[in-house]
Amino acid sequence: MSTSVAEHGQGAGLSPEHGGHVLRVAGLQSEFRSRRGTVKAVRAVSLELEPGQRVGIVGESGSGKSAFALSVLGLLEPPGYVVGGEVILNGRNIAELDDRQMQTVRGKEISIVFQDPMSALNPVKTIGQQITETIRKHQPQLGKKGARAAAIELLRDVEVPAAGRRIDDYPHQYSGGMRQRVMIAIALANQPNVLIADEPTTALDVTTQAQVLTLLDRLVTERGTAVILITHNLGIVAQFCDVVYVMYAGRVVERAATADLFAHPVHPYTEALLRAVPRPDQLAQGPLPSIPGAPPNLAEVAPGCSFESRCPLGRGHKLCRTEVPVSTAAIGFGSGGATAECHFAKERVAEYLDGDATTA
Amino acid sequence: MLKLVLTRTAASLVAIFGASILAFVLLRVAPADPARLLAGPFATEEVVEAQRVALGLKDSLVSQYFRYIGDFFQGDWGFSFSVGRPVIDQIGSRLPASIELGLYAFIFALVGAVICALLATYRRRRAVDHTINGFALFGLGTPPFWLALIVLLVFFGILDILPGPEGRLSPRQEAPPEVTRMYTIDALLAGQLGTFFDAGKHLLLPALVLGFAPWAFFFRLLRASLLEVSGEQYLATARSKGIRRWTAFRRHALPNAFLPTLTAAGLIFAALLAGSVLVESVYQWPGLGALVRDGVIEQDYAVVQAFILIGAFAYVVVNLVVDILYGVIDPRTRTGSAVTK
Amino acid sequence: MSSTESTQAAGNGHDEPAPLLRVEGLKKDFISGGSRMLGRAGNVVHAVDDVSFSVARGETFGLVGESGCGKSTVARCILRLLEPTAGRIVFDGVDIGPLAADEMRRLRRRMQIVFQDPFGSLNPRMNVEAIVKEPLVIHRIGEQHERSNRVIETLELVGVTEQQARRKPHEFSGGQRQRIALARALILQPDLVILDEPVSALDVSIQAQVLNLLRELQERLNLTYVFIVHDLAVAEYFCDRLAVLYLGAVMELTDRERLFRAPLHPYTGALLSAVPVPDPAVEREREHVVLAGEVSDELATGGCRFKARCPIGRDRDICGEEEPALIAHESGHLAACHFPGELHWLVEPSASEES
Repeated sequence: MSTSVAEHGQGAGLSPEHGGHVLRVAGLQSEFRSRRGTVKAVRAVSLELEPGQRVGIVGESGSGKSAFALSVLGLLEPPGYVVGGEVILNGRNIAELDDRQMQTVRGKEISIVFQDPMSALNPVKTIGQQITETIRKHQPQLGKKGARAAAIELLRDVEVPAAGRRIDDYPHQYSGGMRQRVMIAIALANQPNVLIADEPTTALDVTTQAQVLTLLDRLVTERGTAVILITHNLGIVAQFCDVVYVMYAGRVVERAATADLFAHPVHPYTEALLRAVPRPDQLAQGPLPSIPGAPPNLAEVAPGCSFESRCPLGRGHKLCRTEVPVSTAAIGFGSGGATAECHFAKERVAEYLDGDATTA
Repeated sequence: MLKLVLTRTAASLVAIFGASILAFVLLRVAPADPARLLAGPFATEEVVEAQRVALGLKDSLVSQYFRYIGDFFQGDWGFSFSVGRPVIDQIGSRLPASIELGLYAFIFALVGAVICALLATYRRRRAVDHTINGFALFGLGTPPFWLALIVLLVFFGILDILPGPEGRLSPRQEAPPEVTRMYTIDALLAGQLGTFFDAGKHLLLPALVLGFAPWAFFFRLLRASLLEVSGEQYLATARSKGIRRWTAFRRHALPNAFLPTLTAAGLIFAALLAGSVLVESVYQWPGLGALVRDGVIEQDYAVVQAFILIGAFAYVVVNLVVDILYGVIDPRTRTGSAVTK
Repeated sequence: MSSTESTQAAGNGHDEPAPLLRVEGLKKDFISGGSRMLGRAGNVVHAVDDVSFSVARGETFGLVGESGCGKSTVARCILRLLEPTAGRIVFDGVDIGPLAADEMRRLRRRMQIVFQDPFGSLNPRMNVEAIVKEPLVIHRIGEQHERSNRVIETLELVGVTEQQARRKPHEFSGGQRQRIALARALILQPDLVILDEPVSALDVSIQAQVLNLLRELQERLNLTYVFIVHDLAVAEYFCDRLAVLYLGAVMELTDRERLFRAPLHPYTGALLSAVPVPDPAVEREREHVVLAGEVSDELATGGCRFKARCPIGRDRDICGEEEPALIAHESGHLAACHFPGELHWLVEPSASEES
C-alpha cells in the first residue's frame, strides 16, 4: 500500500572529482532576442550529473530553469538562442552538433518530460502513435509490430491500466495523471542516460503527484537513469533529489547536497525561499517571512549581485551593488563541492560551522 | 461516426429545402412578369392572361412551388425565354466550365497558401514573412476584374506567351470527347495531350486571377494558425524524441493548424465553384457567371432560380464534407458524438 | 446590522454569535450530454452533494480538495453566480435564495470574490484606477471626487501607489495584479471575501507576500474569508477551520489543529501524506500513502464515495453498502467515515520502516 521514495541513496551527494559524469554543462548561456532588447535568460550555468544521480534545479518563474533545460537539448526556438557554453553528454560536446546529428541524441541519450501533460501530447494522434514514433526513430530494427509491442510494454510499465486497449485512445481520453505517465513512457522508451523532468507534477493534484513521483522514482532506479528535476516545489526536491541547484535571475546561486542545502542554506536567497514556504508539518505562527520586491528584469542586467535589492544581508552594501559575486566553494561542511554565489558566503559558512560546533 | 454523417446529412437537406423556398419566393416577388415577357411587349392583355394560365401563374404559390420542385427533380428546370432553350441544357453546358475554372482556382489558392504559410512561419525569417504578407494584403485589396485585365495585358498583349480572351480552347482546337465536360480531364482521358495543354494554357490566367484573393485570405488564416500551433508543447515533445524538425512540423503542426481553417476552405471552394461574373466576362469564359448575368438582365428568372439552387446545393454539400472531415481529422469531435450516443 | 435570529445558533448549541454565512444542504447538479430536442436525459453530475457549514465573523474558513471536488462550485453558489439545485445559503441572517435581482445586487456588495488567475480577471484595456473604481460605478456609490479618493485609499491598502494606478494590468507582475484584484474586491467594503485559489499561480516568494497581506487586511478590516485552496501547506498556514471535499461532499470538517494533527478521515490522511515536506530530514523518514487510481475512477454505485481508492475501506462490506454520514466525533470534529481515525498510524513516521 505504502511506499517510500526515500530509499535512494541520499549520501550520493556531490563528488569533487570530475570523472565519470554522464552530463557536464559548463558556462551555458542563452538569450531571448526581441526588438525591445535581449533577455539573458541563462547566464553561464554549469552543472554536473553522475550516472544514476538525481539533481534538482529549484527556482521561481523567470529564473531561467526551463530555458536551461531546452538549451541543453538544443530545443530552444527563435527568438531564443544558445550563445555560449559546453554541454558534454557521454563524453562529447552536443552543443556543437548540428540539428541532424542531434536527432540521434535526443530521445536516445537524453530526453525530457514537460510540465503540462495537457498540451505536451498531440491531440489528433493516438497515444500509441506518439510512443511508437520515438521507438521507431531510434530502434528501427523493431519494425512496426515490434514498436507497438514495445509501446504496450512501456504503457504497462508506467502502470496505465488496460494498456493493450488504451494504446489506441487519444490524449483527451486520458486523465492528466495518465497523460503524464505516457510522457514518461515516451521519455524512457529508448533507455536514455539522462532524463530532464521540467516541473513534471506541477499541473497535477497532490494525490496524482505522489503517484507520478513514486512511479518516476521506481523507473529511473530500475534503469539507472540520471535525472535533472526542475521544480519550484521544495518539498519535491527534498523527497527526490541528491543534489540541489538553486537558480535565481539566470544564474545558479547555490548548489549543495540536498540535506546540506535545507539544513544550512548559504545564499540568502535560498534561505529566504526556504522560509517563505508554509510547511505542512509545522503549524506556522505569525506572518510568513516573505522576500520583498520582485526578481530583476534580465533585459537590463545591472552590475553587482542580482539579488542585492531584495537581500536581507546585502541590500545597499557597496560590494554587493557593484561586483558580481564569484562562485565560492562552501568548503568545510557537508559533502564537498558545494558552492554559493554570495559575497557573504565565507562568513555564513563559518557561522554554520560555529553553530554546529556548539551544538555538537 | 455513421451517426455524425447521418445527422449532418439530414441538416443539409433541411438547408437545401430552405434555400429552394427562398429562391422561389424571391423571384415571385420580383417585379418582372414572365407572361408579359413571353408574350412580347405588343401582345394584348388577353394573350398575356392566357399565357399566365398556361404557365400556371394563376395557381396558389404553394402548388406552384411543389410543381417547380417536382419538375426540378425530373430534370425540367424551366425554359429560358431569352435564349429559347431549356434551362437544364444551358446549365449543363456551362456548369462544367465554371467548375473546372473554380477547381483550378481553388487548387492554386490552397496549394499556394500552404506553401506560403510554411515559408512564412517555418524558418521564422521576418523578411520572407513580411514579403508574402504584403503580397497577401495586395491580393485582398485588389478588384479581380482589374487584375484580370492587367495580367491579360502583360501575358497576352505584351509578352504574348499565353492565349487571349478566347474562352476555353483555341479557335481551331476541337473539344475532347465529352465525359466530364471538363476539358483538361476529358483530354487526358482521351489521351489528347495537345488538347490538354491548350486547355491548360487557357485556364492558367483566369484560374490564377480568380484564386488570388482566396489565396490571400487562406494564407493569412493558415499563417496565424501555424504560428499558434508552432508554439504548442507537443511540437517540442516531438522534437525531443529526435524527430527531424520538418517531420515534427509536418506530422504534428500541420494537421492541427489545418483544423481551424477547414470551414473557411470549404466556403471558399463553394464560392469558387459557382463561378465569377467579372472574371468570366474578361476572359470570355463560357461559365455560369455570364449566364446568370444575362439571366438577371433579361429578367429570365428560371435561369436565376436554377442557379440559386445549384449554389445552395454546392455550399451545403461542401459544408457536409467539411463537417465529416472534422470528424475524420479531429478525434475530439468523434468522441464528442459518441458521448451523446 | 443586527440579525433577528442571533439567538438561534444553528446546531452549535452554545451561546455563540450567529455566523456570518451558513450553507445548509447545498446541492448543485450539472447535466451533461443530454439533448432536449431528442428528448434524451443526460448524465446528472452531482458536483456539490449536500454540503453544510457555517463561517463565523472574522474567521477564515478553508475549502480544500483536489480538482473536481466541487470547491469552486460551492463558492459560485454562495455568490449566486450559479443557482443551487437544493439547499439554503444564509448570509448575515438572510436566506439569499428567494431574493430578487436588485436585492441580491445590494447584498453582493457585502460578498466579494478574488479569482486564481490575476491575468484573466483584470480587463487588459482599463487602467488600474478604472478597474478598481468600476464596482463603485456599478453600485452607484459616491460622487466622482469621492470615488477617486476611495480608489487611492484602497490601492494604498494593498500596497499599490497612486502613480502606478494609471498603468494597465499587463505592466504589473502576477503578485501585484493579485493585489489589484484584491483592491477591486475591497473597495465596496465587503464583510465576506471568497478567495478562490488566490496564490496558486504565484511564485513562492510572492505567495508569502500576498498571504501576509491577506492576513493583515483581515485584521484591519475585520474581514471574513472563505478560502478555496488545493495546497494543503497554504491551507494549514492560513485557515482557522476547514472542510475537506471529495467528489462534491464534505469528508471531514474541523479546526486546523485537529485536521492536520489528528485527521479522522482516510482521505485527509492520504492527502496530507502526499504533500512532500520541504525538509529532507523529515521527508526521508516519512511514510507516504500513495492512493490507487484517480478521482475519475469512482463509480456512483452507493456506499462511501471514497471506497475505490480508500486504503482502509476498499475491501470492507459496509463501505460498499452504506454511505457514511458526516457525524460529530469528539469536540465537534466532523468526519464521514465508518472507521474514523483508523488511518492515523500511517500518517506518523513509523520507526519500524527505517532501514
